[in-house]
Amino acid sequence: MSTVMITQKRRRRLRHDWPWMAAFVVPAALLVVAVQFYPLLFSAYLSTQDWTLTSSQSSEGFVGLQNFAKVLQNDVFQRAVRNSALITGTAVVLEMIIGTALAYLAAGSSRIIRAVRTLLILPLVIAPVAAGTLWRMMLNSQMGLTNYLLSFLGIQGPDWLGNADWALVSVIIVDVWMTTPFVLLVVLAGVSSIPDELHESAALDGASRWKSFLYIDVPLMAPLLLLTFLFRMLESLLSLDSIYTLTLGGPGYATFTMTYYIYTLGLRSFNLGMAAAASWLFMSFATVALLVVFWLQRRWQTAQ
Amino acid sequence: MKRIYVFTALCLIVSLLLSPGMALAQEPKEIVATYMQAGTYDKAAEELVPAFEKATGIKVELIVAPWDVLNQNHITDLTTGTGAYDVMSGEFWIATVFEHMLPLDDYVKRDNYGGDFIERIWSPGPSNFYDGKRIGVPYSADAYGIWYNTEIFEQCQLKAEWETWDDYIAVLDKLQTCLKGKDIAPMVHYFGQIEQPAAIFLGMYDGYLVDKNGNYALDREKAIAALNKMQSLLKYNPEGVLGFDFNAGNAVFLAGKAATMVGWPSFIRANADDPAQSQVVGKWAMAKFPGPGFPMVSAWNLFISKYSKNPDAAWEWIKFYANPENGKKFMLKYGIGSPFKSTYEDPELLKTLAHFLPGQLENLSRVKSLPWTFAAFEAFFRNEGDFHQGKITAEEMLDRVQAEWNEIKVPEALIQLADAQGLMEK
Repeated sequence: MSTVMITQKRRRRLRHDWPWMAAFVVPAALLVVAVQFYPLLFSAYLSTQDWTLTSSQSSEGFVGLQNFAKVLQNDVFQRAVRNSALITGTAVVLEMIIGTALAYLAAGSSRIIRAVRTLLILPLVIAPVAAGTLWRMMLNSQMGLTNYLLSFLGIQGPDWLGNADWALVSVIIVDVWMTTPFVLLVVLAGVSSIPDELHESAALDGASRWKSFLYIDVPLMAPLLLLTFLFRMLESLLSLDSIYTLTLGGPGYATFTMTYYIYTLGLRSFNLGMAAAASWLFMSFATVALLVVFWLQRRWQTAQ
Repeated sequence: MKRIYVFTALCLIVSLLLSPGMALAQEPKEIVATYMQAGTYDKAAEELVPAFEKATGIKVELIVAPWDVLNQNHITDLTTGTGAYDVMSGEFWIATVFEHMLPLDDYVKRDNYGGDFIERIWSPGPSNFYDGKRIGVPYSADAYGIWYNTEIFEQCQLKAEWETWDDYIAVLDKLQTCLKGKDIAPMVHYFGQIEQPAAIFLGMYDGYLVDKNGNYALDREKAIAALNKMQSLLKYNPEGVLGFDFNAGNAVFLAGKAATMVGWPSFIRANADDPAQSQVVGKWAMAKFPGPGFPMVSAWNLFISKYSKNPDAAWEWIKFYANPENGKKFMLKYGIGSPFKSTYEDPELLKTLAHFLPGQLENLSRVKSLPWTFAAFEAFFRNEGDFHQGKITAEEMLDRVQAEWNEIKVPEALIQLADAQGLMEK
């Protein structure tokens, strides 16, 4: 009886408060919708227009999907897609492996471990522009620190930034260096949340540390790892600043990525129509990649 | 009595009507000027602001931004007609918006301005024009040149005298023989600074850059010959040169590890004479940039936006900033290449910079400005990068460049620029 009364009371109160609640929430909601969707809709409109800002202050007409066709057929765009896929694919996989391994090594609460952990996450707080510049100096084949250190091991370092293939490797190295600490932090949090009892009982059953990792930690952390993978993948695809300062997208088109392509079209050539079309294509590729990850996640959960 | 009332009332009305206008007229003028964030041009401007404000009563706000951002700001401001900037720093890279700049001919004529500029720098190309009218006043001038290590040349009994790239390559051959077994390269250039090697191509190529129809194109045969010649230079450079940026290239020359260097003088001159940073102090000199092509120029101009509300005040700033006295001062203090003849003929300066000024003046007198948009330039230098990597041949490179150029509309200002400098197909 009392429960029914309380519910009725709540409903009355809700009915009474509703206009006030709406008055507070609706403006914020509208603002979010405007900020999120207006640019998207406008860029969709732009992608169908023939509009280069330096030639005309307004659009020179509707061109349908021509901008998309032009971008897709463009040789440079195709190379940029290949480069982006290669850089992101390799870098993110390496970051996941190294970050996870480091998280296990850096787990613990001793003073030394805590100091090491702090050192390991330092690259995360360095601005990508600064990181790119720093590595540009370090990877200088003649005067850089990297080749100097390699020479102590009797290795003659490669021409990191002058050779097209090594320039790609350099971009991957910098990406891995900058963002592995993010994976480390997330995985570390995941590892800490696994109850010790699980590992203890597995040890009692004779499971090795590796098996315990494989059959206890990985399944428990799978959703977290996939989410981290997802974040990293998106961020790596969007990365521009470190590549800009490290290689300028070169030599030639060797490290020219999709974001670099869009930047060049939009902010150097001011070709708004094609830049918008390229952005939508980029978003489509990223969405497909996301859907694949979500599909994998669902399959994993079903299999469990 | 009535008349007095009417007269007083009229006086009051007139004074009330005039007062806002008078207040406006007395309000100090304010202009906004833009400069590239380089630690040179911008610092020089900062230094001048207090004296300018004191002398003219015009307030100046300086907006400083890196190259990319500066150009983006200018283009967006002008194409939208915003008029946020009165004085703008720029080069031919913003030629797409030259039509939005104010013609300066009347100001120049009125103040009899410009007499001391190096003739070539004051002409179309290094100086920016639109529809035959001057829109820009140059305030810096740098030309691609060749530096050489006088000590090495003496040891090898060679003279830095060349007219063409073939002559220069012949000297490089001799240097290579002479320097065999030593850790010194005959030449260094920042091939890894991907947009730079195009300057060497332009020095070797003497064809057109814009065809009869006003489209970007190259004389294929001449271009292939120039590209292959440029590729042949790589063997005279230190190992790993394809990765050298400005700093790395300059450092090699300053360490005495290269007999010659092809590049921008203003990026290295001050350091080359500083014993703390250079091992070639007193051992370097400036030589001619060979032909048959031209030395690329960097000549920053000051423009006045058509949308400026204070064009007269903006012109005052331009005169105050770009004059022979400052040209000399800024060259010594900030390393900014002076566009003024008097700097290069200054007897006092010649005592200390005789190894630099005559050679630089000679190169500045032959410079040309690129009639390329940045998109056209980028299509060229990126494919050229692939060519240097050996991934494509010169012929394939030109095909790729042309394919990208076919998508680019040449701005009217750049067609005029090409025509004025003899870079258009006849």
